[in-house]
Amino acid sequence: MRILIVDDSVTMRKIISKSLNAAGYGDVIEATDGADAMSKMTGVDLVLLDWNMPVMDGLSFVKETRQSPVFGEVPIIMVTTEGAQKEVLMALKEGVNDYIVKPFKTEILVQKIEALMSR
Amino acid sequence: MKVEYINPFIEAVNNMMQTMMGVTPQRLNLSIKTEALTTGDVSGIIGFADKNITGAVALTFPIETVLKIYELMMGEKILTLTPEVQDTVGEMANIVAGGAKRTFAENGMPFHISIPSVITGRNHAIFHKIGTPVVVVPFLVEGLPFNMEVSMKVDNQ
Repeated sequence: MRILIVDDSVTMRKIISKSLNAAGYGDVIEATDGADAMSKMTGVDLVLLDWNMPVMDGLSFVKETRQSPVFGEVPIIMVTTEGAQKEVLMALKEGVNDYIVKPFKTEILVQKIEALMSR
Repeated sequence: MKVEYINPFIEAVNNMMQTMMGVTPQRLNLSIKTEALTTGDVSGIIGFADKNITGAVALTFPIETVLKIYELMMGEKILTLTPEVQDTVGEMANIVAGGAKRTFAENGMPFHISIPSVITGRNHAIFHKIGTPVVVVPFLVEGLPFNMEVSMKVDNQ
């Protein structure tokens, strides 16, 4: 399973990537913003997506991806500091499959991935 | 700036360090900032705003502190202020601002946050130009100091 981590922070990408590797997910690729992610979607099975990023933010990425005939069904977990109810609802409405608020325990992120991908 | 506005930021610092590093920072006495110069080598800064709210939060670290934090967070020892360490400082500011934002939103005071900026240089200056006192919150983590500065202006205050 190929997982794409989209975050403008190399720190977060590294923390998430390490925890995925430790949980047995070896095929992990990274993108620094929504536009970079769009160019790396081929073969991706799951996207872990930050919200606030330069160039193209996470919500714009979700809107664009969900309209794509090729990538429209790829599961997306939002991984963001935007944790107010309004933002969570907005992201879910746009088609995000799950949501985790920073800071988080990496074990919880792995659990969410396993639950989502086993559906 | 009302003093109670500082609490969501303090809680966000505690939550971030407990969750991501497994440590609880010790908070020391608050003070009002009287000069622009900081007592650190690197700062992560985020502005926030809405119709009636403007402000900024900055986390300032001496190099020894931020290298220890990087080690705790990433499980890797680094000896200099690399771009990765600077990114970690920006991300910490992002997480603290996001945590506080959530608490304010739950209390009917929503605002938007910017993308973080990072400033480096020994005792660099930070100017909060919103015409309200800046509260400085000193912390110790693993015995090493860092500061949080918060300025926040609410128009109907």
